Formats: sequence, structure tokens, C-alpha cells
Amino acid sequence: MSTSMNEKDQYKNRIELLQGTLDMLILQTLQWGPQHGYGIVQALRLRSGDVLQVETGSLYPALHRLERQRWVQSEWKQSESKQKARYYRITAKGKKQLASDLDRWEQIVEAIGSVMYVKPEESAS
Amino acid sequence: MKWLPSFGFQRRNRELQEEIDAHLQMAVADRVARGETEESARHAAAREFGNILLVQDVTRQMWGGGWFEQLGRDVRYALRQLRKSPGFTITATAMLAVAICANSTVFSWIDGTMLRPIPRARDTGDLVSLQRGERNYSPTPPFSYLDYRDLREQNHTFTGILAYHHDWITLTGGAQPERAYIANVSANYFDVLGITPMLGRFFLAEEETRAVPNVVLGYSLWKTRYAKDPAIVGKSIEVARHPVTVIGVAPEGFVGAMPGIREDLWVTFDPLGTDPWRMTHRSGGAVWLNVIGRLRPGMSRGQAAQDLDALMHNIVAAYPDDHLGDNRITLDPMWRSPFGANGYMAATLPILLAFAAVVLLLTCANVATLTLVRFVSRRRELAIRQSLGANRIQLVRQMVLEGMLLSIVAGAVALVLTSWTSKTFAWFFPANSNPLILNGSMDHKVVIGIAVSSLLAGMLCGALPAWRSSHAPAIEVLKAESASISGGSRNRKLLSGLVVAQIALSLPLLICSGLFLRTLRNLAGANPGFEQDHILTASVGLNIVGYSHDEEQVMRHKILDRVSALPGVKVASLTDWIPMTLGHKGEDAYPEGYVPHPHESLQVVHAEVSQRYFESLHIPILQGREFTPHDDEKAPRVLIVDQTAARRYWPGQEPLGKNLRIWGRLFTVVGVVRNSTHTFVNEAPEPMVYMSFFQQGYETIVQVETEGNPVELAPAVQNVIHEIDTRLPVFDVRSMRESTQMASSFAVIQSALAGMFALIGLILAVTGIYGVVAYRTQLRTHEIGLRMAVGASRVDVLRLVLLQGLWLTGMGLALGLAFALGLTRIIGRMLYGIGANDPVTVVSVVTLLGAMSLVACYLPAHRAMRQNPVTAIREL
Repeated sequence: MSTSMNEKDQYKNRIELLQGTLDMLILQTLQWGPQHGYGIVQALRLRSGDVLQVETGSLYPALHRLERQRWVQSEWKQSESKQKARYYRITAKGKKQLASDLDRWEQIVEAIGSVMYVKPEESAS
Repeated sequence: MKWLPSFGFQRRNRELQEEIDAHLQMAVADRVARGETEESARHAAAREFGNILLVQDVTRQMWGGGWFEQLGRDVRYALRQLRKSPGFTITATAMLAVAICANSTVFSWIDGTMLRPIPRARDTGDLVSLQRGERNYSPTPPFSYLDYRDLREQNHTFTGILAYHHDWITLTGGAQPERAYIANVSANYFDVLGITPMLGRFFLAEEETRAVPNVVLGYSLWKTRYAKDPAIVGKSIEVARHPVTVIGVAPEGFVGAMPGIREDLWVTFDPLGTDPWRMTHRSGGAVWLNVIGRLRPGMSRGQAAQDLDALMHNIVAAYPDDHLGDNRITLDPMWRSPFGANGYMAATLPILLAFAAVVLLLTCANVATLTLVRFVSRRRELAIRQSLGANRIQLVRQMVLEGMLLSIVAGAVALVLTSWTSKTFAWFFPANSNPLILNGSMDHKVVIGIAVSSLLAGMLCGALPAWRSSHAPAIEVLKAESASISGGSRNRKLLSGLVVAQIALSLPLLICSGLFLRTLRNLAGANPGFEQDHILTASVGLNIVGYSHDEEQVMRHKILDRVSALPGVKVASLTDWIPMTLGHKGEDAYPEGYVPHPHESLQVVHAEVSQRYFESLHIPILQGREFTPHDDEKAPRVLIVDQTAARRYWPGQEPLGKNLRIWGRLFTVVGVVRNSTHTFVNEAPEPMVYMSFFQQGYETIVQVETEGNPVELAPAVQNVIHEIDTRLPVFDVRSMRESTQMASSFAVIQSALAGMFALIGLILAVTGIYGVVAYRTQLRTHEIGLRMAVGASRVDVLRLVLLQGLWLTGMGLALGLAFALGLTRIIGRMLYGIGANDPVTVVSVVTLLGAMSLVACYLPAHRAMRQNPVTAIREL
């Protein structure tokens, strides 16, 4: 994982996603309703304030993998702008998976947090 | 496993394409809505999306599915990669195809000769060829009928033992007499071989020794001369003017039991009852049969040899006077039987196959080098795939698949090429009087051979680089720039190793081919001891037309007189043997007053020649006299011996006037001639005796020394013989030069193939070292630029690059030399007039390879030296 936060370089000002995290983010996005690949990218970018940039090279393999694991289902539909697109919808199995992913994520955040926010006097002892 | 997997694959592929298109269109639409122009929006969207092909590819991998779909995906991906670098693909495929074809061609020749010693015979692996006495190339038939019958009836190790005598004869009764090859065979001949008649029957046991004029026709004779007459059985045909009855026709493809030699028809041992001597004696002219046995199941060749040796021992004890020489029995499997062509094949072809295998190894090393270089430059892409979730096994599988695809295509090309090259084997044999049917064959064994060698080649070419590349940690490669990739010392070592291997493999090939070429030159330049220019020979089918013996003698004199009188003829003579044509006659001879060593062969080579024979061939008579017209059947039997015979039998004595007993008859030595070549220039000297043609001559060959080109006189000689009797068949009319080419045909095969292989090896080794040095120099462009910028001179740069290449060359040459010294010992036996470690050849080959490598290293070095340091530094 690379977290270079060079402010001069807008393009690089994004967090590359941990493997596994992307699955969780996609499933979460689909919680709000069926969406197509482009829509997922846009949604993630908007909600993360332009920090999370999902590479298409990761997105589509991930979507197809999730479909194969039956966590999402897909169907072809017309978008609002009359564009025919493939919409992905989260399944019951996917929701269960999302819950367990989220669980694990919270554990990691907590674990990392407890390392990072150690009080100085404690670490000195 | 899904049915119609490719159908589903097509649909999903199309959907993926549509999905990506939709994505791009939406992205473009958004950008246009934000105020961008259509064109810049499209570019930006595409850039943002990234490598569409790569995305598709990785996405497809997520589909999983049956192994077939996965394989299909991998194949598609590999094909796309290969299409991307057509130069590499075409070069590698062509090189592999040539190398595989080299192997399959030699193998098809082995398959057509050694592996099919007796076409159509059942289980030829169980057949063994029996030899009595000394083992050598083209031995004469070793057994008498009575000895053969004793062995056949008393052994415990064979299911059957057959005997045959190969000869030729004239088919008469048609418009033109026709030469045909015939064999006298034992009654169990076809049975032991496992051949069943296509028409009629074969011989019965009681017919073996009786004078029953029955004949079995070969398929091709039945087809050509008798127009496939379905009612041929029972009909009478004329063979050498004697009526014989056809009792059967052999199946198509069967041409007799002597490997590589064709027979057209078969009779029993004495069908006309004209030769009882041969059936009732154990020595003299009665040793005339070649013998082949079929081992009992589970019996080894060693056990059988012991069994026969013991029987032979008893026979020798019972008839000691008939078995004076060496009587040990040796057994050979048919693939290397000394009778027929396989003895020569076994001495030549396996070594050539080993050479071809070296060429294939070399090619694999070369293609692996190219593949490695290519994969190094593709490492970023591979690392991306890995970071996207492709695992290491998948990557290795894909790269091996690329190597496999190359080698499968190469194998297919080689298959097509081999179907033609397998038939080129016959080209190596000049026109000659032997009914040779040697050629390669293209059957399932060859196809399997091609498949196996191309799969092995594919593994070698693909697996090695794949294994190397997949070890690269993904993140490091992603970060690294190309220069530091090349700097990876493990890669450098592998590349260097491959270059060293190529040089080390090509050096022995070059040395061997150098030795073979010089052998060929030595053979051509060697003095065979007789004149080959301005000599014409022509066979006359006199003894086989059916004349009485006295008529024959009259005809021979007539022929000699008429031919002598022809304008342009300097000297004419008669003989029944032409030297250096792979044929020779041998007979046991008992020199008076000579005590042989135990197991010493008493066989002498003999030929029957008329007066002036030695004169026409320019063979000097050292002592005594030559034959005269008075040495005929009424006169005492006389002999002229060569130096070898004189020295062996009467060392330090006067050979003239000494006696030799042959066929139970005494012959007196009247002359000594200088040694000359019998079969091969490099043969071990054998004692030779010449007998008077008009005393012992059997076949009639007119030998003429001409003033001009001998071939121009051929029609005149033929005419003059036909003037005597139009029915006399005249054949094998050709110059001595042409006839004696037969003796060097194996040397020609060896040097032609070894030369071709060595040339391929040289090209591969030199391009290999060039490729690696050029590649490495290119990667060091930046470094070289820096060096020059800080003051290194052009000579320093040249030295830097050259030294690297020369070090590799030196290593390769040293290893290759060690390899070559081992290999040349194997071919030592095939050389003539040159040592296996001939320093001149070794030094010149090493110099040649070294010089070529130097040039190959110099070119990139020169380029590096000439470049502008500033551009070089910028080039990163």
C-alpha cells in the first residue's frame, strides 16, 4: 500500500485500496441501490471527497469476482440518460458478507488505532 | 464441465465489451456535460480507464469456469502476446522448426531402416541374425545348409530358424529379359517371419530339399510383370529359361528378410535339382546361407547364443575339416544385423541423431535467451497482473503456454517438412547394382517423436524464463525502472549461462563436422590402388539366361573379342566383381604349410578376372605373371594373390608356386599384385586372391579402359553385345567413378548432415551471443553515457563491452572443448586420415567460433562507442 500524500500532485492524492477493502466498498455502495460500474466509481469518489479513486483495472475484475461468489447479481438496464448498462445489485448473501467485512474492518481500524494513538508516557515505560 | 463452453465464453466476452463501452460513454457524457469538448473528453476517459485489453483479460480470469475455458483464455492471451512481437515469434518458431525437423528427419531414416528391418514381418524385435566367425561389415553368408539344419533342429531357444540366399536372376519368356532379385529360402521362411500369402500358398516342409520348380512371387513383380493376374497361381512362368510354377504371391510391402535389400521372388534351395553339392556339404562352395532365428518368448539373446555356440561346438568337433577357421556364433538384433544395410545404418544414423539432439538443445537455449529478454521487458506488465490478483502459478502457466504454442506451431511446421525430408535419404545412394530400398518413413513413431521433442522444447523455452520472472516481487518491479531490472544479478547469470551453453554446444558440432568434412576429402583424395578414370563396366546376364556352360564360355570369348575391337577401347577384360561397391565374395582358403592361430578366420576375398584386368586398372604385378587366355578349365588352377595374402600366409618366403586349397581344390600361386581397396578406403586389409575368369568366373562383367569419357562408349558396348545375342540382358552400365561412389556414400551422409547441423549451431551461437551483448549494452546506455561524460574514452567503452562478451565466449569455448573431446572419441571409428583430436581442426574451429563471437560482440560495442553521451544519458 502506498500512501504518498504529495499535495502538489493531485493525481497521486488518492489512497490505493487494500485488497479486500474494495469488495467491502463496492458492496456498501450497492446497499444504496443497484448501480453500474461507472456509477460505483463516481459514488466512491464523491463520498470519499475525491480521495478514493478505484482503478477500472481493479473494479471490473472485482465486480465479476463478486458475481461469481454470488454476492452480487447483474442485469442489463437503461440508465436515466438512456444508456444501456449493466447494473449490479447486492444479494442476501452479499449483505451477510458485507456485515462480516465491516466487522473485520472495524477490528483492523481499532487495532491500528490503538497502536497509533498510544499515549507517550505509556510507551516510555 | 459445461457444454458448449466456447459459446458461453463468446457471449460473456461480448457483454464485457459492452459493459466497458457503456462505462466509457457515460464518462464521456459526464465530461461533455461539464463543458469539455467531445474529443478531449473521449481522450481523457480512455486515459482514465487505462489498458482496456489488460482490464478485460484480468476480468476474464475472474470468471473461472471449466478448465477448457481457462485454457482458452490463456491461449488467447498467449497468442496476443506473440502477435505483439512478430519478430520474436517468427524467429523462434523458424529456429525451433528447423531444429525439430533435423531430429525428426534423422529419426524417420532410422525408423524406415533400423526400426523396420523386415517390413510386414511380425514382432521383428524377437528376430536375431546369426553370424559365424569374425564380425565385420558386409560379411559373406556364414552357414552351410547342413550346419543350418543341425542348428534348426537341435536348438532349445528358438521357435524357428530360417535360412535364405540372396541372388539375382533373369526373367525370360517375355519380350525382354528382365533382371530380378531372388532368394533361395528354407520352407519355414515365411512362417518364421509371420507372413501369410496374399494368393496361393508358400513352401511346404517336404519341398525344402526336393527339386520342385515352384516359385512365390513378390507383390510388385506380380503387379508390374503379371498385371495383378488373379489366376496366376498354378500358372507356369519362365525363370532363366526354365519353366517354374507359381504357387503363391507374397503380400504387398514384403520384400524379403535382408534389411534394406529387395527381393522379387522366392524359390526353395535347389528348385531345379542342379546344385546337389550345396545341399550335401558343409564347406567349400556350400557355405552360402544367411540365417535368422525367432527367439522363444522370454529367451534372451545371450541364452540363445550360448545354446547355439554349444551346438556349433559339437558340429565343429564332428566335422573338423569343414570348420577350420573361427566358428563362434554371435547374434544381432535385426536393427543392427550385419547382413543387408542395417550394419551401416547402425554405425551412422544414431550418431547423427545425437548431433541433431544437440542442435535442438542449442536452439532451446537460444529461444530461451530471447524469451527471457522479452519477459524482462514485460515484467512491469506481469507485475501489474500479479498485483491485480493473478497468482504465480497462473503467470508461470501462461508463460509456459507461450513457449508451448511456439513449439507446437514449430512441431507442425517440422511435421510438414519431415514428410518431405524423410524421403531424401535415398538421394545419398548413387545408382548401383544393389536392389537398395533404403528410405525414411513417416509413420506414427515419427509423429510421436516430433510431438515429444516439440513439447520438451516448449518446456525448455518457456519454463525457464517463466520460473525466473515469476520470482520477481511485484511491488519492487512496479517501482523499478528498466535499468535496475537488468541489473538483477540473477537474471544476468541466467542469460550468461545460456550464452555459454550455446557456444559450448556448438563447438563440438563444428569440430565433428570439420573432422567429417576432412575425412570425406581424404577419402576422395585417397588412392584406392586402382584406376577409376576412363573405366567403364557393364554386366551381362549370361549365366542367368539359361545357356549351357560350354555355350557360356564361347559367348564370353566372343564378347571379349568384339568389345576389344571397338574403336576408343584401350583395354578390355572380363571380371565378376567391381571393387568398392559394397559387394564382395569371401571363401575359406587353406594355404599349404600354414598353421592358423586358434579362432583365426581363414576367409579370403576373391574375384575372378581375365587377362589384362590388372592392366586396365593399372594394378602393378609385383612378382610372377598375370593370367593368360590359356588359364582355362583344362589348365591347372592358378591364383594371383595380393601383398596382404602373400605376407600373411608365407611371410619371408617366396609366394610363387605355393598352393592354396579352396572348395577342396588346389590352386597354385603364379603372381603377386599390389594391394588395392576392396570395399572401403579405410577398411582393415584382408587377404585377397584373384582366380582366372575362364576357370572360375560366375557372373560376367565387361570392364573397358577407354581413351575418352567412358560413358560415351556405353551405347557402343551395349550394341556390340546385343549383336552377339539380342536376348542378352546388359545392365549396370556405368563408369567406375560412379560405381565407387557407393563406398563413400556413408561418409557423404555423415559430413553433409554434420555440416548442416554445425552451420545451424554456428548461426545460433553467434546470434545468441550477439543478442545478449547487444541487449545488455542497450540497457547500459545510461551508464555508458555517464562514463563517457566523466571522461572515459571510446576505447574504454569498447573494451568494457568487448570484455564482457569475450569472457562469455572464453567460458563457452573452454566448456565446449571439454565436451568435444568426449564426443570426438565416439566418432573416431568413422574418420579416415585424421585423428579424432586433430589439432588443426580443433584450432581452426576454435578460431572460427572465437572470431565470429568477437564480431558479434564488436557490433554492439561499436554502437555504444559511437553514441553521443548527452543523448545516452537522456535516454532513460
